[in-house]
Amino acid sequence: MKRVLPHPVRETRPALWRSLDELSSSPDFAAKLEREFPQGASEWNGGELSRRNFLQLMGGSMALAGIGLTGCRRPEAYLVAFTQGAEWTIPGKFLYYATTMPRRNGAMPLIATTSDGRPTKLEGNPLHPISNGATDTFAQASVLELYDPNRSKTIKVGGVKTDAAALGAKLDEIAASAHGGEGLAFLVEHVDSPTRDRLLGQLREKFPNLLWAEYEPLGTGETTAATAACFGGKVSVIPDFSRADKVLAVDSDFLNASFSGLDQVRGFMARRRVSEPGQAMNRLYVAETHYSSTGGLADHRLRIKPSETGAFLRALGKQVAAMTGNGGLASVVAAFPDSPLSADPEWIAECAKDLAASAGKSVIVVGDQQPAAVQALGLAINTALGAPGRTLRGLRTEAPPAATIGELAAAMQAGRVQNLFILGGNPVYNAPADLRFGDLLSGVPVTVRLGSYEDETSAACQWHVPQAHYLESWGDARSADGTICAVQPMILPLWDGVAEVEILNRLAGKEEPIGPQLVRETFARIAGGGDLEAKWTEFLRQGFLPGTGWPETPLAFNAAAAAALAAQYQPSAGGMEVAFIPSSTLDDGRYANNGWLQETPDFATKITWDNAALISPSTAKELGVATGDMVQLSAGDRAIEAAALIAPGQADGAVSIALGYGRVKVTPVADKAGFNAYPLRTTGEMTHVSNVALKRTGAEYKFAETQTHQSMEGRDLVREATAERYAEEPTFAQTMGMDGHIPPNVSLFTHPPLTSPEQWGMTVDLSTCTGCNACVVACQAENNVPIVGKDQVSRGRNMAWIRMDRYFAGDENDPEMLSQAIMCQHCENAPCETVCPVNATVHSDDGLNLMAYNRCIGTRYCANNCPWKVRRFNFFDYNQRPLDQLYLGPLAKKGMADSLKMSKNPNVTVRMRGVMEKCTYCIQRIEEARITQTVQAGASDKSLVPFPEVKSACQQACPSQSIVFGNIRDPESRVAKLKSEPRNYEMLKYLNVTPRTTYLARIKNPNMAMPGADKVGRANGYGHHGGEAEHASEAHGT
Amino acid sequence: MADAIMQSREAAAERLKRAPLVTNNRSMSWITNHVASCTEKAAPTWWWIAFTLSSSLALVSVFCIGYLISTGVGVWGLNHPVGWAWDITNFVFWIGIGHAGTLISAILFLTRQKWRTSINRAAEAMTLFAVVCAGIFPAVHVGRIWMVWFLAPVPNSNAIWQNFRSPLLWDVFAVSTYFTVSVLFWYTGLVPDLATLRDRATSKLRKFFYGIAALGWRGGNRQWKHYEMAYLILAGLSTPLVLSVHSVVSFDFATSVIPGWHTTIFPPYFVAGAIFGGFAMVLTIMLPARAIFGLHDLITDDHVDKMCKIILLTGSIVGYAYAMEFFIAWYGGNMYEQYAFINRATGPYWWAYWTMIFCNVVAPQLFWFRFFRRHVLWVFIVCMFVNTGMWFERFVIIVTSLHRDFLPSSWNMFYPTWVDIWTFVGTFGIFLALFLLFIRWLPMICIFEVKAVLPEADPHHGHDGHDREPAAALKEGVH
Repeated sequence: MKRVLPHPVRETRPALWRSLDELSSSPDFAAKLEREFPQGASEWNGGELSRRNFLQLMGGSMALAGIGLTGCRRPEAYLVAFTQGAEWTIPGKFLYYATTMPRRNGAMPLIATTSDGRPTKLEGNPLHPISNGATDTFAQASVLELYDPNRSKTIKVGGVKTDAAALGAKLDEIAASAHGGEGLAFLVEHVDSPTRDRLLGQLREKFPNLLWAEYEPLGTGETTAATAACFGGKVSVIPDFSRADKVLAVDSDFLNASFSGLDQVRGFMARRRVSEPGQAMNRLYVAETHYSSTGGLADHRLRIKPSETGAFLRALGKQVAAMTGNGGLASVVAAFPDSPLSADPEWIAECAKDLAASAGKSVIVVGDQQPAAVQALGLAINTALGAPGRTLRGLRTEAPPAATIGELAAAMQAGRVQNLFILGGNPVYNAPADLRFGDLLSGVPVTVRLGSYEDETSAACQWHVPQAHYLESWGDARSADGTICAVQPMILPLWDGVAEVEILNRLAGKEEPIGPQLVRETFARIAGGGDLEAKWTEFLRQGFLPGTGWPETPLAFNAAAAAALAAQYQPSAGGMEVAFIPSSTLDDGRYANNGWLQETPDFATKITWDNAALISPSTAKELGVATGDMVQLSAGDRAIEAAALIAPGQADGAVSIALGYGRVKVTPVADKAGFNAYPLRTTGEMTHVSNVALKRTGAEYKFAETQTHQSMEGRDLVREATAERYAEEPTFAQTMGMDGHIPPNVSLFTHPPLTSPEQWGMTVDLSTCTGCNACVVACQAENNVPIVGKDQVSRGRNMAWIRMDRYFAGDENDPEMLSQAIMCQHCENAPCETVCPVNATVHSDDGLNLMAYNRCIGTRYCANNCPWKVRRFNFFDYNQRPLDQLYLGPLAKKGMADSLKMSKNPNVTVRMRGVMEKCTYCIQRIEEARITQTVQAGASDKSLVPFPEVKSACQQACPSQSIVFGNIRDPESRVAKLKSEPRNYEMLKYLNVTPRTTYLARIKNPNMAMPGADKVGRANGYGHHGGEAEHASEAHGT
Repeated sequence: MADAIMQSREAAAERLKRAPLVTNNRSMSWITNHVASCTEKAAPTWWWIAFTLSSSLALVSVFCIGYLISTGVGVWGLNHPVGWAWDITNFVFWIGIGHAGTLISAILFLTRQKWRTSINRAAEAMTLFAVVCAGIFPAVHVGRIWMVWFLAPVPNSNAIWQNFRSPLLWDVFAVSTYFTVSVLFWYTGLVPDLATLRDRATSKLRKFFYGIAALGWRGGNRQWKHYEMAYLILAGLSTPLVLSVHSVVSFDFATSVIPGWHTTIFPPYFVAGAIFGGFAMVLTIMLPARAIFGLHDLITDDHVDKMCKIILLTGSIVGYAYAMEFFIAWYGGNMYEQYAFINRATGPYWWAYWTMIFCNVVAPQLFWFRFFRRHVLWVFIVCMFVNTGMWFERFVIIVTSLHRDFLPSSWNMFYPTWVDIWTFVGTFGIFLALFLLFIRWLPMICIFEVKAVLPEADPHHGHDGHDREPAAALKEGVH
């Protein structure tokens, strides 16, 4: 029904008139008045093409448009082009939708911030039990991938562009010719998606003989095998760290949310956070090869060679079995083949004693990459420690059976595969080298590849189909606890992206239903009866379906099966070993074309745009290798070259190298970044290779490090102490070093009054910060921070507003690692403000150090005078010029890719060259809240409306909730409470700059019976003057 | 006995006899002819070669600056944390050189040091050209030069004023004031000589331009009276500026919080360093000019000797300041300060520090010896060392303090790019080209002042003991 809002017709001549025309009330005048009326008014009178008509027409034509796969579009019901205003949106106001990032280790529930129809920022979905509103590095960066101009854009066959209709026809042809599924094979990534599983079921009905294989370079196949053997059936075993007093992590980076789960990090941190002196806290033992973020937080860390993981657990298991008298464990240990172990037996004995003493409150976690036998041994120890049901939860899971890539390769080798679908992944690049997957592909008559990029696998396949990003396609996925989450598109596919489920659906012979109906059909089966429409709406609104988590199951340990599995363990021979580790920024390489992640420094090595062969200082000395030396690592006939990096904390005799780098001529961002380690990795040696020959090639390589100095130089920047010392001397953090005896500080300047009722401040808890970089990428996404490229990073010009400082303390071979997030400290007496000649950086009355880009002329004096060196200068037009043409000046191409323009946060200025920038405490979020408050106050009869909660982007992303931001003047705020803790300290207090960001000292909980316990928690030393005594022995870097 | 006394008195008188400021009994007309003819004769070949080379070099600098402005500050080697390096080093270097001229003209004038007369003109010109070179760097080092007008106190619709707490703004005022006053002072001193050139001019063009420039100077008694008062006032105005400019420049560093910059000794230390470097540059320029133009009778070895003594004195002050910085760093007990200075001497830029120490503290010690002070080649060599050392002093202060400040995580190195290097080298071209133009078109020695220090210019000559040379007075037994 159309509203008719004509201009009111006057019955009589007006009493008050503005013109003679009005007085006469002529029809001409009425018409004129109408034209004069605001824009669109005539449409209300029933114009030919109103906004509503237009939308109706557009909606209709969209629904009718398209054949084949273009018909397989999600219904555009709620996806409205912004060329016309959509009714429920206010331009410039964000809209928030729930969605989910499908991941191999459980989907990450998200809330997408969209502005004018473009998703620009992702946050965790706080309603979801697993998320708590946090995210991780990969989720934060995934929004850039959506807009990545290098993503593949068109369907191609044999490298020639084609269209969706041709693909549809091809799919139909394959479906028609694959009788019973003989010769039809799929290689997919591991994603727990009910809709995919349902479609797979349909396919299996139609093609009973199809081959469905899953491959993840860093998958959890070994874990599944171990849990199946130990507990029977499909079981997911999830440690509950919130109940654990003692934790031992063996080659497990469970504190990095990217590789575990947000709930695990949160559970652990709940027991790690010490507010009161003397408060009980958990204890973390870590045995690992390279420094992981979990190792950085460890109370006791043991460096072990990758081949010795089994022997280590065996030795530990033996001790635990003796102490607990657990026969099951004893039998598993007995079955587990012995192998040499160089680790300190005292360390293992004391660790075992401590774990056993806390039986029922201790847990050990073994890395997912470890062989099933080793993991079974770990589960046996856990069982002996009484973990099942207490610190270990068992969940009964379901998943359709899937073959391994090895089985697929065997079928291809045998010529049993005629039609191969590679949906996602990049097996040509990352499959085990012994499979020679690329060569096998050429023997398959029809290969169809769905991928985000035209990569190595696309080059080897006939068909390449661009994969739709999860933010532009419909789907569903289970989080680690099994809860079904909705994958909702935020935008129509920017290019011709196709979703995996659409291809499966088409092969199943169904052109319809499409898009959301596919998901909804699955949903209907799970959600059951009742008001399905309401349930569906709620599902999309909330982002997940509560109560669909995997059911809890008791964990009954099957010692015999575990022993049988343990007996299969094949200890690898020694020699120099190379361990394959996930990249903390590129995962297994899937994020290689993501500039934000390429430029995020690894938390331990601080290198960007590269991986490296990590070598311990003493091994490097033995081999005569220095940082930057190119080395050749060869095992048998396989060899790779990589640049060496001396990494304190690395196990001796073992090289660790992150996977996912070393792509050549695939995508521009990933090109020539780092070294490809996959050619060294084979089916039997997925964690590490032994007996590797390492030799220097003589070539040199230059890394782009964001931090070149590794020692704190005896400065009390990161402050830490043991729990014992904290109990004895609660104010240790505030009296450390110079802070114990600085005279009363006086400021020469008068400062503007801090009059606002809101005074913003921040705390960073160093006890719980893992250095995972989620905050760094979140800040980049929120604040339109540009990337600068490897060359500029190596010149010291990276632009990150928040950086993760990492220091090593103690022995250079076996140091402590300390991470500290540094962003603008918003000093009340800011040294940057006094020196700016043009008043471009000033203070606000709510305590923010403001930066007026328009006013900045770029003297860089503020950056020079900043004690924290957090100010970042735009040395070039990083936003406007291609990063490889920065030095061409006006001759370089100008302008940003259109899709990248869409990725920018519209509330944050994109800075030009020549201006200074820095952390703003997310002022755009503060101001948005202030506007909300003002609106609320205006709409209510109250004179005072509480300021809405504001979270900075870094705080919101932090998986361990280490960053807390808020109003320090409100005594009830969390930040104010944290600031009143005795662990709270200011850095560089003697300068009297009174920073608003303060740090909560790191508390360690060493077991004094452990060897080396006297060195734990002493990064600053214990003396009056902090770390000066320790200074001489500190690691001076690489 | 009396004879013996007389003899010793005579001997003493001989020893104490003040050396004449102009040697070889040159007459007034000789001086006028000799100095003025430098601008009147056709330019010699060497001048054209020198001018071509230096102006080409100047163009290199102009090109580098054009590249810098069109492309971004990133073409220099700056980074985080080294936000200033060669740019501000060059600025302080040049502004330091720009100190000797005004010091010679103003302070030596007020203290009645008559030997200044033969060097003040060229030294002042050198000051101006050095300030021109200095002014380039703070202007072009900014990220957005098209916005530098924000530095000027122009009322604007944004109602944003300058930040008067910023030493960088003080710099703007200090340097521009210094330049303005120096130009006025220099020009005022030029007027009588411009009139001389006008009067000697043979071509219409020269007559016209020098006539305009001489501002109608006729040399009347009244004009001289006004001139001397004006010159005295300007000398009085310039004197505090000599001290203030470099003090203000030092505030750029002293008022900051960065260890190695945050030092109260900076103002006197910088002023002494500026005079030190300025005199070295005066000698560097004047010694070749004296040789080329045969000005040995006007710029005598005594002049050189005196300037060397000033170099020795100020060099020692600078050396004392270097030592005092270390002492205070130790005595202050602040670990950040201590580290900053240990890092200077032993860190990655140790070579820059020890170059500075050798050039600025060790090399000038030769000037304790009369032989070296009067040996032109040695003087020139030592002055070249001082020039180098003073550049390194600024480099050491700026770069070594910034590259390792509070948080070791931010520590980094600075490496200059070719643009850094050629921008700086090119400023020598600008400096020399301007100086070459100066010696072609203006009298490089103050003709009328030199004439005034001739014995025959002394109206009291031989009449009164007060103004007599001490040697003469001694000879006559008058006390």
